Amino acid sequence: MIQVLFYAGALLAGLLLSALTAALLGDPALGDLHLSYVLYVVTVAAVALGAAGPRVLKNSLSIAAAVAGVLGGAALVYIFLAQVLYVGTAMAVKHGGLAFLWNIPPTPADETGGIGPALLGTLYMTAIGAFFGFLIGFPAGIYLGEFRRELAAKVARIGVNVLVEFPTITIGLLVYALFSLLGMRAFSGYAGALALTIIMIPYVALFTAAAYASIAPAVREAAYAVTGSLYKTLFIVMRKVVARAVLVAFLLGTAKIAGETAPLLFTAFGNDYYTSEIFGVDLGEPTGALTLLIYYMAQTPYTVQNEVAWGAAAVLLWIILAVFAVARLLQRSA
Amino acid sequence: MIKGLLASLSLVPLAIVALLITLFIAESWPAWEKYGLSLITTADWDPVRESYGILPAIVGTLVISALAVTIAAFLAISFVAVSYEFLPPRAAVVLGTTMDLVAAVPTVVFGLWGLFVLAPIMQAAQEILWRDLGWLSYNGVGPFAVEPRGGTTVLTAALLLAIMITPFAASVIREGYAAVPKEVVEAIHSITSRRWEIVRLKLAYIRQYVFSGLVLALGRAFGETVAVAMVVGGNFVNVIRALTEPGVNVSALIALQFPNAHAYVYMVPTLFAAALLLAVIGFAINATAVYFLLRR
Repeated sequence: MIQVLFYAGALLAGLLLSALTAALLGDPALGDLHLSYVLYVVTVAAVALGAAGPRVLKNSLSIAAAVAGVLGGAALVYIFLAQVLYVGTAMAVKHGGLAFLWNIPPTPADETGGIGPALLGTLYMTAIGAFFGFLIGFPAGIYLGEFRRELAAKVARIGVNVLVEFPTITIGLLVYALFSLLGMRAFSGYAGALALTIIMIPYVALFTAAAYASIAPAVREAAYAVTGSLYKTLFIVMRKVVARAVLVAFLLGTAKIAGETAPLLFTAFGNDYYTSEIFGVDLGEPTGALTLLIYYMAQTPYTVQNEVAWGAAAVLLWIILAVFAVARLLQRSA
Repeated sequence: MIKGLLASLSLVPLAIVALLITLFIAESWPAWEKYGLSLITTADWDPVRESYGILPAIVGTLVISALAVTIAAFLAISFVAVSYEFLPPRAAVVLGTTMDLVAAVPTVVFGLWGLFVLAPIMQAAQEILWRDLGWLSYNGVGPFAVEPRGGTTVLTAALLLAIMITPFAASVIREGYAAVPKEVVEAIHSITSRRWEIVRLKLAYIRQYVFSGLVLALGRAFGETVAVAMVVGGNFVNVIRALTEPGVNVSALIALQFPNAHAYVYMVPTLFAAALLLAVIGFAINATAVYFLLRR
C-alpha cells in the first residue's frame, strides 16, 4: 500500500513535472516529436521499472525517483520562498519603503498605498488570541500531561485532538454563529481575536501536555517531595523544567494564528482604514488583517492592489521567519 | 482545587467542539428540512431559484485531496528516505528545517504565489497535457479531457496543496523512521544491502506512522480554504469532468459564497450544512489517524 502510493505519486509528479518542463522550455519539438512525449515515456518507464523491474533496476530507479522528488520539491519551495521575499520586499520598497508599514491600502484609483491598518489589526488580534489561548491552553495542557492516566484527561484529550485538526474556516463560522446568536455584531476585531484564541488553545495544550509528560519520573517525585503542594510543583518547579518547550509552543502557535486567514473572513472581516484616534484600530469595528488584505487584494484586477498584496505577503513572511528563527534557536540551545 | 480548575480548563476544547456541532446543526436545519439528502447528492447552485446541491464541492474536495495526498506521499517518503539514508546529517538538518518552515508559512502566501506564479505556468503545462493526453477519456470524463481555459484549475490547486501538506505527513513519518529499534535495523541490514530495500523494509515496519501521517495530511487537504479558493477557479455548478477544469472544494465554497449569502433565504443554512459536513469529515479523519497510531 505504501509502495503503491509512492509509485503513484511519483508517476503523477513526474507527469506534471514533464509538462511543466516542456511548458517552461516553450514546448520545443523535433519535427513531429514533442519534448513532452519524450519526458512522459522516460517518466513512465522509470516508474514502471522502479516499481516492478529487475531487482537492480528497482533499487537504483527508486532511489533516483526519491532523489528527483526531493530535488524537485526543494527547488519549488526555495523558489517560492525566495520569490515571495524578494518580489514582495521590492514591492514594499516601491510603495514607500518604511511608510508602507503605516500608509492605508490603496483604492484602485490610487497610485500607491501601504498596509497600516491591516498590520495593526493583525498585531492586536494575534496578541489577544495568543494571550488568551495560552492562558487556557497552558493549564489545560498541564492537566492532560500530568494526569494523563485519569479518565477525565483521556476524554479531554479527544476534544483537543479533534479541535486542533478542525478546518479553521469552521472556527470562523462558529464564532460568527455565536455572535449572531447573542445579538452581537459578528464583524469585529473581538470576534476575530476570539476565533484565533480558539485555534491557539489546542495547539498550546498539545505541546504543553507532551512536555509535561516527558518529565523524568525522578524529577517529578523530587518536585512533589520538596514543595509538598500541587500548585508549587506544577507551576514553579516543573514549569522551569519544561519552560523552553512551552515557550517554543507559544511562539509557533503565535506564528500560526498570525498567518490564519479563513477564520477571520467572517469575523474580523477586513478594513482598509484606521478606525480609532488613540489605538489606530478599534477592535469593536470590522478590523483588517494582513492575511485578509493579501487574500482580497491579490484577487482584484488592479495592479496597484496586487503589488500591495505582494508587499504585505513579504512583511508577513518576514515576521513569521523571525518568530520561527527565535523558536528554532531556543530549541537548538536546549 | 487547583486540579479541578485545571481539569475544567482542559475540557474547554471538548466543549467548543460540542458547541460547534450543535450550532451548525441548528443553523443548517432549514436547509436539511427543505432539500433533504439531495443537498449533498445533486449538483446545483442557483441562488435565484433558491436551489442548492453541493455535490460539485464534495467531488472537488475528494479529487483535490486524493491527488494532493498521493503526490505528498511520494514527496514525504522521498524526503524521509533521502535525508536519513543518503544525505550527510548536516544537510539533512537543513532540509528538515526547511520542511518545518514550510509548515509555518501562512496558506494565503501560498495562494498568492499560486495565483501569480504557478497558475500561468500551469496553464501552459495543462495545455500540453490536454494536447498530449486528452484522449484518455470515457464519455468526456478523463484526467485531462477538457481544454484548459486558464491556469486556475483543480490540477493547479492539487499541486499547490501537495507542497503545502507534505511537511505535515513528513514530520510524523520522520518521527517513526528515527525511532526504528536498533535490533530491527540490524536485522534488516542482515537481509539485504540494497539501500532502497532497506528503506522499504523500514517503512513497512513503521507503516502505522506512515498512514497516520498521511491521514493527518489528508485532514489538512480537506480543510484548506484560502489557498485553494485562490487557485481553484470556483465552479459551483457542475461536477468536474477533468482535472484541467475549474472546480471548488467545500471550504472554498463557503469562503467564496458566504459574503453574499445573506441576500438569499436558504444559502446561509446550506453553507452551514457544508461546514457541518467539513466538521464531521474532520472528526472521522482524526479518529482514523488515532486508530492507526494506537494500533501499533
